[in-house]
Amino acid sequence: MRTATSPLASDPGGGIRFTVVGNAGNRRVALFAAAVRAAGLPPPRVLPWLDVACGRIAVEAGALVRIDSPGEDEEVDRRFRGAAEPAEHGRIKSFAGWYRGFRAALARLDDELAGTPGVQVLNRPDDLAVMFDKPRCARQLAAAGVPVPPALGPVAGWEELQAALAAAGWNRTFVKPAHGSSASGVVALAIAGGRVRATTPVELVRDGRDVRLYNSLRVRTYDDERDVAVIVNALCADGVHVERWFPKAGLDGRVIDLRVVVIAGRPTHAVVRASRSPLTNLHLGNRRGDATRLRAAMGERTWATAMTTCVRAAACFPRTLQVAVDLLLAPGWRRHAVAEVNAFGDLLPGVLASGRDTYAEQVHAVLCGRHLAWARNAGSLARPAEPQDAVRQGVVPCTT
Amino acid sequence: MVRLDSGMGGGGVTISSNLESFAGRRVVDFAPDNAAAVGDPAALAWRLRLESYGDDRRSFDELFDQFLETVAADRVEALVMGTWAAEMYDVSAEAVVRRLSADAARLPRLRSLFLGDITFEEFEISWIRQTDVTPLLLAFPRLERLRVRGADGLALRPVRHEQLLELAFETGGLPAEVARAVGGCDLPRLEHLELWLGTPDYGGDSGVGDLTEILAGARFPRLRYLGLCNAEIADQVAAALATAPVVAQLEVLDLSMGVLTDQGATALLTGQPLSQLRRLDLHHHYLSDELAGRLRQQLTAAGVEVDLSEQEDAGEDDEDRYVAVGE
Repeated sequence: MRTATSPLASDPGGGIRFTVVGNAGNRRVALFAAAVRAAGLPPPRVLPWLDVACGRIAVEAGALVRIDSPGEDEEVDRRFRGAAEPAEHGRIKSFAGWYRGFRAALARLDDELAGTPGVQVLNRPDDLAVMFDKPRCARQLAAAGVPVPPALGPVAGWEELQAALAAAGWNRTFVKPAHGSSASGVVALAIAGGRVRATTPVELVRDGRDVRLYNSLRVRTYDDERDVAVIVNALCADGVHVERWFPKAGLDGRVIDLRVVVIAGRPTHAVVRASRSPLTNLHLGNRRGDATRLRAAMGERTWATAMTTCVRAAACFPRTLQVAVDLLLAPGWRRHAVAEVNAFGDLLPGVLASGRDTYAEQVHAVLCGRHLAWARNAGSLARPAEPQDAVRQGVVPCTT
Repeated sequence: MVRLDSGMGGGGVTISSNLESFAGRRVVDFAPDNAAAVGDPAALAWRLRLESYGDDRRSFDELFDQFLETVAADRVEALVMGTWAAEMYDVSAEAVVRRLSADAARLPRLRSLFLGDITFEEFEISWIRQTDVTPLLLAFPRLERLRVRGADGLALRPVRHEQLLELAFETGGLPAEVARAVGGCDLPRLEHLELWLGTPDYGGDSGVGDLTEILAGARFPRLRYLGLCNAEIADQVAAALATAPVVAQLEVLDLSMGVLTDQGATALLTGQPLSQLRRLDLHHHYLSDELAGRLRQQLTAAGVEVDLSEQEDAGEDDEDRYVAVGE
């Protein structure tokens, strides 16, 4: 841990100055800035990811630094991937290349912040690197005793995947790009008796011999093994996390899971994601379900147990103020498992708890010092499994 | 083949939830530790299932043994069979049907049975391995309600059953032999018949010709609810219904979840009167606004409740039209 985590250099409520690492003009940055202003604080400075990617990092001494998503900016994306040209819109690109660039940028940021007096980082670069590495994140959660779906080791392609699934005795799995997000490249895969069915937002486009994959807003089902093999092989080339398909409960005619934002150790904002397909991400035409109804259906005790799991998942990242946990609930509510811990899953506009949205809640947690208590005490909830040095691995030079 | 599933139209699988109620009763999962807390075992619909994930190593027989030992089975009136194996792909419903039939004497009050309360998260409906369900009708002469989900391996022999009120086959593709066997059954008290015809892609080779006996109506004199749902051949079904004798005795006609287009709707509009219906269920359809409007206007004026929700958009290509429940 190189980043400074000294107590606040600025007085709570007094000289607090936030800096947001993000993409200027992005909705996330604007919403956080609005929450900061609403708390009567000076507007946060923005350190653009583009500057971080190019090594132009300057943070004022004593700043509270929030690191937000580098997404939705094609130039940042291009630089992370080290590509000559921006990616074609919607094209599924190299997740592995992107991750190398992201990690390198995080490492540079970490170095710079460590060298700036009095800086406090609200989400640790090491933690972000782990959360964008699904196999590693799942191992870390499992080692801390957090329930996660069992997973296969690395697989190189379709044939190897089939063999590994046969050996494990699994016929239903989720194949996820190891470094993806927002369901990009995720495949819900069922294999039985020589039949195969892949449900995914991936759109496969064949152009002669050329095969391209796109992210689509519509979920598709492929049942021709040749198509499935092409998609899986393309995804495997970039590294995949293959976990057993945890059957999700339904509510009111839709399959559901829960997105729970944990802020300084409290599960403050919960959103039910309700879907007619196995993929629950809201941008895929799915909608928010009724959390009050779900809570009533589960019963208070079961709900509390589920929330405790989310907090324990968050406790694997004690020096990170906020994580968003995707929690899978089994039919009958008798068991649950953590599907993902998202670094940037707090974009839930309009979802309020105690009158505060996720951004206002984070500002509030900082102002009342709860985040420091969390960083001190969370360790007792989780035992970290691996040395926290993800950022140090695979550092690549800036491409500019 | 590639299918567009959910989101902005395009149909999509819909069996997302396990049953919350069945036969007018709340569905409760049987577990050895919860059975004792229940007062009257007749007041609930008991669901037996092995978790389709995880470390449940019991067989269905062991689960059923536990049920018989724990619950006063002689008072149970409604049973729901969920996933009957931890990995469903190589286990058919045969063991379930055999066991239930063999123990029929221990379930003297069983009136309602659901075989296959399984969602697409648990197993694909078209992959559920069913079996010949005739033994259930033979072993339970006082059964009133039988619903079966899944069609791979499904079979039925024509039988006479004096008490059955409701029969439903929920499938992604109903085999023609089963459709014909239903038509060959003598079910003098049957009020509710639901056949999800599905698509040939998933074994649904039933054509309108396989529905002849059903459409004639004579075998089911008390039939009031006819569902020919989830049908890729919904237009042909609608055309046949335009003249089918059975329609005159119905209160509810259910053509929902299928690929009903303006062609089928026109047949309904120009065929025999539907004004005696209480309800016409067409939800999940591919009608134009114009035809949907005409149907609604004509039937609403006649006092018929019409469900035209879930208007699907096929786009420019017929290939984009799907039944609601396939895979």
